[in-house]
Amino acid sequence: MTRDLLLLFLRKELRDLRSNKQVWPAYLILPVVAVALPITMLAFLPFVADPTRIHDPAITMLLESVAKDATLTGATISERMARLVLRDLVLFYLLMPVVLAASAAALALVREKEQRTLEPILATPLRDRDLLLAKLFAAVGPAMLVAWGTAIVGMLAGLVGAWWRLGTLVLPTAGNVVGLLLLSPTLTVLAALTGLRVSARFTDVPSATQFTGLVVVPITLVIVAVLGRPAMAYPLVGLVSALLVGLAAAWLFASNVRRFRREEILTKWR
Amino acid sequence: MIEARGLSRSFDGRPAVSDLSFLVPPGALCALLGPNGAGKTTTIRMLLGLLPPTSGSAVVSGVSLPGTDAEGASLRARVGLLTESPGFYDRMTGWENLILFGSLYGLQRSVLQTRARSWLERLELWEARDRPFGTWSKGMKQRLALIRAVLHEPTVIFLDEPTAGLDPAGAREVRDLIADLKREGRTILLSTHNLAEAEALADLIGIIRQRLLEFGSPASLVAAPPRIEIRLGGPAAPFIDVLRSLTGVVAAAADGARLDVTVTDPARDTPNVIKQLVSGGAAVLAVRPLAPTLEEVYLRAVREPAR
Repeated sequence: MTRDLLLLFLRKELRDLRSNKQVWPAYLILPVVAVALPITMLAFLPFVADPTRIHDPAITMLLESVAKDATLTGATISERMARLVLRDLVLFYLLMPVVLAASAAALALVREKEQRTLEPILATPLRDRDLLLAKLFAAVGPAMLVAWGTAIVGMLAGLVGAWWRLGTLVLPTAGNVVGLLLLSPTLTVLAALTGLRVSARFTDVPSATQFTGLVVVPITLVIVAVLGRPAMAYPLVGLVSALLVGLAAAWLFASNVRRFRREEILTKWR
Repeated sequence: MIEARGLSRSFDGRPAVSDLSFLVPPGALCALLGPNGAGKTTTIRMLLGLLPPTSGSAVVSGVSLPGTDAEGASLRARVGLLTESPGFYDRMTGWENLILFGSLYGLQRSVLQTRARSWLERLELWEARDRPFGTWSKGMKQRLALIRAVLHEPTVIFLDEPTAGLDPAGAREVRDLIADLKREGRTILLSTHNLAEAEALADLIGIIRQRLLEFGSPASLVAAPPRIEIRLGGPAAPFIDVLRSLTGVVAAAADGARLDVTVTDPARDTPNVIKQLVSGGAAVLAVRPLAPTLEEVYLRAVREPAR
């Protein structure tokens, strides 16, 4: 029943996404940027990494730090820069599903209420845990699919770009893999659970959207930045971070179920 | 069967429903009548297990309330609900909406599709099934909501204002369907403002304004107490004291040249009332029995100060 239920809500959300052109930009712009970014950066890399052409002190400092960074390998400064660019670019793929899932989750319940579909849903045998799990899955699923799809395309573009501009293969690091496969989903689940909490508390779509955009997403992005960067360089840090974030997400899910008030939703929301 | 035993519910200390007790036997249709804010929707939500009562209990379709989370889910699998607004997704088609909600009741895909088709055809919605729900008329939307309420073949159905906002033709279609559901032997609790609808459909009527003010069959509600109207040739007020002193007269009121007299037994007491009026000097022009309508019973009940 639970698996069927998750797929049912996922299909509904996907159908809703397909027919709601207003949300398309969010799901299209981020992937386009994520793919265009490595190509653009790699295209200009030979110029940026050439000290004879660049006299910007900030870039000079960056090149010096790249030269000293023990986590980066490469025969030339350009190659080391390419590895840094592609390694840190994965941070963008970590940010992307977090933003998409938190925004979708923030609307998940409040929009049902606005459409007056929540009471008929609550009148079915569906339990609170199942409803919240289905909504979580429906928010996280499409976001992760978009993020992983974009990451594959973006990294391939990076690979080709590095070969084209530098004549070298820059493969994803172990940190990249841990970040994408473990840290990214757990962070996305955590962000979506926070969005769901917001959605269950707020009584109208604009307030839920504003709170998520102004509070939930920025805080989660800071967490992504703080955990993501070291995780890209040190896979073990990524593993431990994913575990800790996963535990926090499990706690938040249990708390969301405990604090889900059918009564409040039915009687206080207008 | 639906049995409420002293159900009460307060919100922030303010009572919405107090001490509600009634029994709807299996296969009966009970209409809950009451003004806005009388507690009809709160009562339905409590009986569905969506809202826990502040005090009291209930048994619905064999499940005791309040109960555990699992008991609540088990109850909701056995009952159907028609909410005040249809509550479907505008961008999805009628068919997709129906399949989605039917799946939430755990119905097998093949069973669900067969039943959905059968109901859509029966209610003449089959042709519109692939159109987005948002483009449907209000009557069509309400009929689809009724299908959702019965798709899992519940034994008990709660209908919250099923004909609210519908045009006369749409309301008639919905009423006919409710009558069909009743004939199929389902127990139905219907909340409505429409007195004619209640009188036409219900086996039992409950008039509610926070408390249950009246409860019984439509016939029993309008049967008692018997009243007679007497028209005089002059002012009626001087005869009130004489009438009130008579045996068998329960109440008497004067309005211009008109007397409204409530008696214990009209056949026995009416001749005596007329005799006393005539001997007291009244010119009696007309006498007729007054049968109260459901509307009068309703208005009298809801206008009375809280008991």
